Amino acid sequence: MVGTPVLFIVIPLLAAFLIPLLGMLWKELVRIVPGLVLAYMLVLSVNLLNHVLIYGPIVEVIAGWRPPLGINLVFSAFSGFLVTLVVFMGLLIWVYSYRFKRNVDFEPAKKYFLLLMMLITGSVGIILTGDIFNMFVFIEITGISGYALTAFYTGRDSAEASFKYLMLGSIASTFLLLAIMIIYSQVGTLNMADIASKMHTIKPVYKIISFIFFITAIGIEAEIFPLNGWAPDAYTEAPGPVGAAFAGIVVKASVYAIVRYVYTIFDLSGAYDFLILIGLITLIMAETAAIRQERLKRMLAYSSIGQMGLVMVAFGMGTEEGVFAALFMILNHAIIKSLLFFSGSYLVYNSKHKYIKEVNGMSKYLPITSLLFALGAFAIVGLPPFAGFWSKLSMLTAAADSNMLFIIALVLIVSVVELVYYLRVVNRIYFFNKEEKTEPKKPTFNALIVMITLGALILVIGFYPDAITGILHKASADLMDKGQYIHDVLSLNK
Amino acid sequence: MNYIILVVFLGGALLTFFAGKINNVLQDILFLASILVPASLFFAYVHAGNIFNLTLGGIHLSLGINAMSWLFALIVLGLGSMAAFYSVSFMKGKERRGYFYFNFILTIMAMTGILMSRDLVSFFIFWEIMTWSSYLMTVYNGKDVQTVGIKYFVFSAIGAYAMLMAIVVIHSINGSFMIEDLVRSFPEMPVNMQILIPVLLLTGFGVKAAIMPLHVWAPGAYSNAPMAYTSIFSGALSKMGIYGMVIVMVSLLSYVPEGYWFREVIAWMGGITAVIGTLWAIKQDDAKKLLAYSSIAQLGYIIVGIGIGTPLAMMAGLFLAVVHALFKGTLFLAVGAIERQTGTSNFREVTGLIRKMPWTFVASLISIISLAGIPPMGGFVGKWMLYESLLTSNHYLLVIVIFFSSTAAFLYCYKFLFGFFLGQEEKEWANVKEAPVLMVVPMLILSFFSFLLGTYPGIILKPIDAGMQYLGYGITQNHLWQTSVIFNTWGNQVVLQPLLYSIIAIFLFFLIFLTIKSFKQTRYVTTKDISSSGEVPKEHENLTFSVDFMQPFMRAVEPVMRRQIDKYYTGLANGLEALFDFMRKIYTGNGQTYAIYVIVFVVILLLFKDILF
Amino acid sequence: MNELWFDIMGAIVTVIVAFVVGITYMGLSRKITARVQNRKGPPFYQNFIDALKLASKTSAIHHGFMQHVGPAFMMITSIMSVLIIPVLRGNAWFVNLNFHGDLIFILYIMVFGPLGMALGAGQTGNPNSAIGVTRGLSQMVGFEIPWVMALVALMMQYHTTSIVDLMNVQIQSGMWLMFSSPFAFIAAVMAMLGMFRYSPFDIVGAPQELASGPMSENGGKYLFTLMSSGSIFAFAKLTLYVDLFMGGAGNLVELVIKTFALYLIPMLYGVTSPRYRTEQSIRWFWGWPTFFGFLAIIYAVVF
Repeated sequence: MVGTPVLFIVIPLLAAFLIPLLGMLWKELVRIVPGLVLAYMLVLSVNLLNHVLIYGPIVEVIAGWRPPLGINLVFSAFSGFLVTLVVFMGLLIWVYSYRFKRNVDFEPAKKYFLLLMMLITGSVGIILTGDIFNMFVFIEITGISGYALTAFYTGRDSAEASFKYLMLGSIASTFLLLAIMIIYSQVGTLNMADIASKMHTIKPVYKIISFIFFITAIGIEAEIFPLNGWAPDAYTEAPGPVGAAFAGIVVKASVYAIVRYVYTIFDLSGAYDFLILIGLITLIMAETAAIRQERLKRMLAYSSIGQMGLVMVAFGMGTEEGVFAALFMILNHAIIKSLLFFSGSYLVYNSKHKYIKEVNGMSKYLPITSLLFALGAFAIVGLPPFAGFWSKLSMLTAAADSNMLFIIALVLIVSVVELVYYLRVVNRIYFFNKEEKTEPKKPTFNALIVMITLGALILVIGFYPDAITGILHKASADLMDKGQYIHDVLSLNK
Repeated sequence: MNYIILVVFLGGALLTFFAGKINNVLQDILFLASILVPASLFFAYVHAGNIFNLTLGGIHLSLGINAMSWLFALIVLGLGSMAAFYSVSFMKGKERRGYFYFNFILTIMAMTGILMSRDLVSFFIFWEIMTWSSYLMTVYNGKDVQTVGIKYFVFSAIGAYAMLMAIVVIHSINGSFMIEDLVRSFPEMPVNMQILIPVLLLTGFGVKAAIMPLHVWAPGAYSNAPMAYTSIFSGALSKMGIYGMVIVMVSLLSYVPEGYWFREVIAWMGGITAVIGTLWAIKQDDAKKLLAYSSIAQLGYIIVGIGIGTPLAMMAGLFLAVVHALFKGTLFLAVGAIERQTGTSNFREVTGLIRKMPWTFVASLISIISLAGIPPMGGFVGKWMLYESLLTSNHYLLVIVIFFSSTAAFLYCYKFLFGFFLGQEEKEWANVKEAPVLMVVPMLILSFFSFLLGTYPGIILKPIDAGMQYLGYGITQNHLWQTSVIFNTWGNQVVLQPLLYSIIAIFLFFLIFLTIKSFKQTRYVTTKDISSSGEVPKEHENLTFSVDFMQPFMRAVEPVMRRQIDKYYTGLANGLEALFDFMRKIYTGNGQTYAIYVIVFVVILLLFKDILF
Repeated sequence: MNELWFDIMGAIVTVIVAFVVGITYMGLSRKITARVQNRKGPPFYQNFIDALKLASKTSAIHHGFMQHVGPAFMMITSIMSVLIIPVLRGNAWFVNLNFHGDLIFILYIMVFGPLGMALGAGQTGNPNSAIGVTRGLSQMVGFEIPWVMALVALMMQYHTTSIVDLMNVQIQSGMWLMFSSPFAFIAAVMAMLGMFRYSPFDIVGAPQELASGPMSENGGKYLFTLMSSGSIFAFAKLTLYVDLFMGGAGNLVELVIKTFALYLIPMLYGVTSPRYRTEQSIRWFWGWPTFFGFLAIIYAVVF
């Protein structure tokens, strides 16, 4: 074995604490260390994932206390896949923002990378942990670093956005704690597997109320309508890579949490339909809101929310196909939406308000960035032969197999709306004349590498989806098999 | 073999795109090669037998060719090669050459791919590639991208998503994406599926075929794309919709009882499309728009033929599809040539080009005669078969509708020729030159085929017959057609060869009669030298007649033209945007409101918990 | 080879007969119109004289190739129609192309010439010509509707598109189609008013407005060709009506009587009517004539 899951928590956390100290030695270390850490984590997670795909999940016990008493980490195909994705996105974000604010003091860079490491730690923790209170802690870590990153540009708007995020985040914490309290009072344990095995003993009322509190709490992080009021502001005001981090990392972890609750911990049959319902509402509200946005990042934010709604719908089907489609969409969304955030933030780099109309005619000045943005736009609306198509196809196939014709129709109609607003932007980039006001900013070398990597990934998955579908199938099978999960965790007792 | 063709196309497209950075001539050569090489490979090596299988993302994909798709491939690759030659000259000195070539090749590839697809997923993939590559062409000029371009893409997307829905529904029933499995299992499906699936598929195909309520994208998209591309856009790309319709109408619907109603409705929609397209074509002052509406109308005829679905009607539809590609391809190319030489395609501006661009005129003349369905051109054979099929299958009202539309078509046919080539020769256009050889020759070749098919329709009826046999029709040769004879099912016939000879003989006789002793003695005078009401007009008098050209007719049909489907769509779109704007306001930007939302959310869930969980 | 010569001779004879009869009718119409208007009028052979005069003249000017061949295009239509429409019942001399084309073919070949001539007229650059052409085409859309409806009714009822077959039907039943399909006949006759372009439908030539419209720049041989083509075409159309509705004709005398009787209809209607505007004309054809056309189709379907 090459490593244990616990390293995923320990190393980035350690790095986060060491960054200020290392910065005192050599300022450049502040930038270099996170990259090394993330690269190591990526290697580790890929290795572990390979191992897990062959030999089955790894359950790591922390501090020697065996479950259900102690805290445990579960690196299964499902969570392993998500961890790999999160770490990979983290690495890309690091590369992208390596020269971030180079000319400024090293103080902001220190803060930025510290917070980024915290964010990744929190997200990875949410995914790996097998204990609901531990998850609460990680959610808090993620949330706090998120608030701080939103307010990174110290301005009035950023502060406001951050404050909204903070306000909703604290409501989320309250509800989460309440939910955990209810559960603990009923079953006397905090271990997920243990709770799951004892779930049938809880009275339905408590079960439902705690579930509602959970959904509300995590729904705020996962950007479910109407709990996602913070998201558009935060995406708009935070630096470009942070938007990508929210879309590619934080939301993924939160969705994982919801899925874990619905699939493994609770045994509410209505929860699946509820996911579909809430997903559809989120999808429709977000996409229709996106079409009328005037600012690019806001539009991308709403689009991101809508995509997560779609993921919810896919998870709500409750079939293995549905989970497969949802995971595929998560993967594609992480790749494509990050590309859009990265390239989009360069298209409106020097403008004050980041209005969509300021991207007019950028293709002449930033040809590669524009092309990649267009590629991302084409991919995210699901045009073949790009990556987004396969996930959309698998999602619709899964829906059809569950006989949900109405939902298919609705999703497709919303897709037309999505198409319209993306095309409008692409048209502006390519066919409008540039306005005089804004000065285009050439992307840095690192940023270009990241964007091209993402673009290449879109094409690779588009032309050869088999590269990824094998893992996704195993991951979805892993999530569906609730009994196996409980068994894996609790069998450590014997 | 068949996948190699697609790979060559794709590789060619990329190479051509990047070659523009090195050398323009190299780019031209690569462009021609990447159209012609796969096209010749296709005709040399691809046969019904060879099937290429591939599993991608857990989905079984299969490529192959059949007699029916071979016929359409003939249209696509034939017209595509001609338009490619033309493009090389057309694009000389224009910007975004790489962009144009790339999308051109990609469209041809996608269409070939569609025709090769034996399963629905690869069909859909190529369909979408075709959609976005053609979209990129409609916005090539950068004109009206946010209205025309988006409209095209939105309609295409609605169509494509309808098709996608049908595809996943089929998969959920069959567990397979193969078209042959669909055909096999369709008669056993439940009745609601037998209705839903064709409706969705026909919506998808109807958009590309510009059938009546779904046609509003076509005029803008056809006229905004560069003309070299529009010729394949209208000539070949729209035929993909027809191809899909043929599959649905014949392979699926002829085996279920509901098929009858589908056929009637589709045929009538085609008829109405033809009338609307024709009337609006007459109104246009821009040649591109005129031809675009005319394309809609002509596709209407084809749809009528396919909708009726008797052997003669199907033959008529397919034959018309081929000749439409020939003549409409030529006409769009001709407009492109005129636009390139004069800088405009508006009838109000440019007149009297006949002496400046004689070859373009000849090609346009032959194509227009063919379009009007007048013998001895190919268009007549198609029209004749269509009428006879309608008569013999008792569609007495539909035949009147079609007749009205094709008679009214003479109006815009004349308008096209008069507007560009005839009338007063004005000084402004005195220095216009004929288009380059590379542009003229493809037009002449295409119009020659229009002419040839008018007398020897058997050349193309043979592959059509093969395609129809593949679809399950009986043999039609010797019973509905011979090399140059066409029959209807009542046994009446038109023997084309002697008719052509008679026409030529009469023409030559009177040509000699008019020319002998006369042409030498007469001298050419300018178009100002006329007797206008007995007076000879002065040099400065403006005698150009091109404004409100068909005004009396337009007055007569004015009540029909007042209603425009497009307006309803625009109204709908504006209404939706207003609604979305209202919904956007839910996000107030106020943190307190958001907090209230959270509370409301929890309260609602708690209230309805018994229903939800 | 002999057969070919035989065919060609037959065709030539047919064309000459058509020319003579047609041009005589034109002369007669001038005479009759004059008498109705209380004038003396020219002699009935006046048109022969005009034609001969024109044929012997050479034109001084032309406006280009399309104008030059325009009249030849017109001639194609006239002669092709007269060759395809059976002139006499069961006569070996005038078989011509009777079995090579059917009604739909005739409908379309009838447009070929006018379109060609219209192009010739267009090239002259005379705006009156082009205006005349647009009016003519517009009016054609008007009258083709009832005309086609009548034909469709006949074709539907007797399940044939061949004129010879329709003639045979009348011989076998012993009843002319104008009696067995009355509505089709009414619709067709009303459409005929437009086809012959006498007033009130003379909007194409419109002597006082357009100075004879499309014809205006033609003289000499051009005008002769157009004029004789018009005569042949008129004869062809009348023969078609006779064949379709009046059982055809067994010999030339019968043919002349029947065609002349038909010819009187548009002529006499014309001398008493003022000219319509184009849109009025179109709408007139889409009114009662089309109504009768519908009746004809319903009649054909029901009975």
